[in-house]
Amino acid sequence: MRAEALGRKYDRALAYTLILPVAFVIFIVIGIPFVQALYLSLTNKTVGVEPAFIGLKNYVTILSDPDYWKVLRNTFVYMIACVAVKLVLGMILAVVLNEKFPLRGLFRGIFLIPWGLSGMVTAMTWRWIYDDTYGILNSLFMRWGLIDTPIPWISGIHIALVSCILVDVWRGIPFFMFSLLGGLQTIDRQMYEAATIDGAGWTRQFFGITVPSVMPVIAITALLSCIWTFNDFENIFLVTGGGPVHASAVISVYTYEVAFLQNAMGKSLAVAGSVIPILVVMIIVATRRLNTDA
Amino acid sequence: MRRTTLWKIRKFTLIYAIVVIAAVWTLFPVYWMVKSSLTPNDVMYTPKPSLLPSHWTLLHYRELIKAGFMRYVYNSLYVALICTVVCVFISVIASYSLTRLKFKGRKFVAKSIIYSYLLPASVLFIPMYVAVSRLGLNDNKNALLIVYPTFIVPYCCYMLISYFKAIPESLEEAALIDGCSSLQTLYKIIVPIAAPGIAVVATFTFTMSWNEFLYALCLTTSPNQQTVTIGIASFKISDQAIWGLLMSSSVVASIPAVMLYFLAQRFLKSGLSAGGVKF
Repeated sequence: MRAEALGRKYDRALAYTLILPVAFVIFIVIGIPFVQALYLSLTNKTVGVEPAFIGLKNYVTILSDPDYWKVLRNTFVYMIACVAVKLVLGMILAVVLNEKFPLRGLFRGIFLIPWGLSGMVTAMTWRWIYDDTYGILNSLFMRWGLIDTPIPWISGIHIALVSCILVDVWRGIPFFMFSLLGGLQTIDRQMYEAATIDGAGWTRQFFGITVPSVMPVIAITALLSCIWTFNDFENIFLVTGGGPVHASAVISVYTYEVAFLQNAMGKSLAVAGSVIPILVVMIIVATRRLNTDA
Repeated sequence: MRRTTLWKIRKFTLIYAIVVIAAVWTLFPVYWMVKSSLTPNDVMYTPKPSLLPSHWTLLHYRELIKAGFMRYVYNSLYVALICTVVCVFISVIASYSLTRLKFKGRKFVAKSIIYSYLLPASVLFIPMYVAVSRLGLNDNKNALLIVYPTFIVPYCCYMLISYFKAIPESLEEAALIDGCSSLQTLYKIIVPIAAPGIAVVATFTFTMSWNEFLYALCLTTSPNQQTVTIGIASFKISDQAIWGLLMSSSVVASIPAVMLYFLAQRFLKSGLSAGGVKF
């Protein structure tokens, strides 16, 4: 109100001018391809060929393809496993780092490292650690007598997705740890002192005070991580490539494969489009919890 | 008294057990990447690689330069620097408008920014590929300058809006009374106060473009146009991987990450709000 009294309401032209470049990016550069994608998913578009409208045929094709359902199931397994493990381990580290102990700063710095590295660097490093012939992981496990034959981390049909999950967990723990640590630091210490006097043990304090206090932070962190993990491409594409025979493929990798290896743009857009409802639900829930008003 | 001392010893033992295990788990891959990048091929390709470094060599790094890796570095710098400067600038002025000026459609624009912040590249990369082909920008690094703002601008705005909101409006009101125009309050008051925040956002922005993989993979095909992430991938063709080059190029590509890391440490100490950092 006071700002308006000072004449800012006459700055409407200025307001629109300043917002224009960003509005262009959001409504034109993102908006138009997004709408076009929805349209192209209803066509038989391939590279370099003009599309012809075929209605919902792409959606019918993919929904009756067992590969699609396998990939969709993998996507959920990947998302739920990754987020759950990152949340639990991130919470443990956050609780520990919230205590005072010598060298705490050093450890905090170390735990942050994975998050600074790019997905490409992380994936390649782990791919090398997992390597069937020269990988250090199998070599160590065999030296320690944990296994007799090398584990096919990348090519094993049952283990490939687990290998991808491990890499994502390695990379994603810092995000959870620091988010949750931020939440923990806002808890009033006196609550714990009062609980200790009342004779509440460590577990009761954790589930009675700690968890409820940081619940909003847990919720938004997990939700954002769900959105990003659900759509993760590079980790799986680079570690296993989605193989063997789609054993570790997720929706985004499958979309890429259908578009560029099967050369069926329309169909691949239907794959991407088919999960938009799931994504929209997650985004709506997340935006409610994020501070959205400017 | 004795009971509390015993309890304290137990507690510290548990704490150190957890942090030491976590530190080994965190550091090992990084160590292995650096170590492998400095290990000669004949020592590296054995079924029983030794944990500790026995032979050192800079051969992989020399080969990397010979293989023309610096061209990818140049392309990445080109794309990341231009994207950072342009995106941060347009996001600063837009965030000012969104937090300080009143206009119709303000809420709608703010909401759209959040939605596009959460909209993943995996939905957009095919239509972007089609759109870029239509514009005739196939295999042109300048196409990345059009596409990268789609994830950078929403991120910048999201961050800057919260920084700007934290600056008390009374400062500007005093300046307005003294006869400053709105635009002058932006560059004379808000930008100097928010400068550390803007610097952090710019660093993250730079790193996000530097690390980007999916769009670079779809939109560029020749080494003259490709960025560092694709350059690393070029040392691995299906199952044939040149691990010495892969690891040394990974080390080189991590230099900006190290930069970010030191900046972020200071930033994170002041408290990280959820969603403030994309990874």
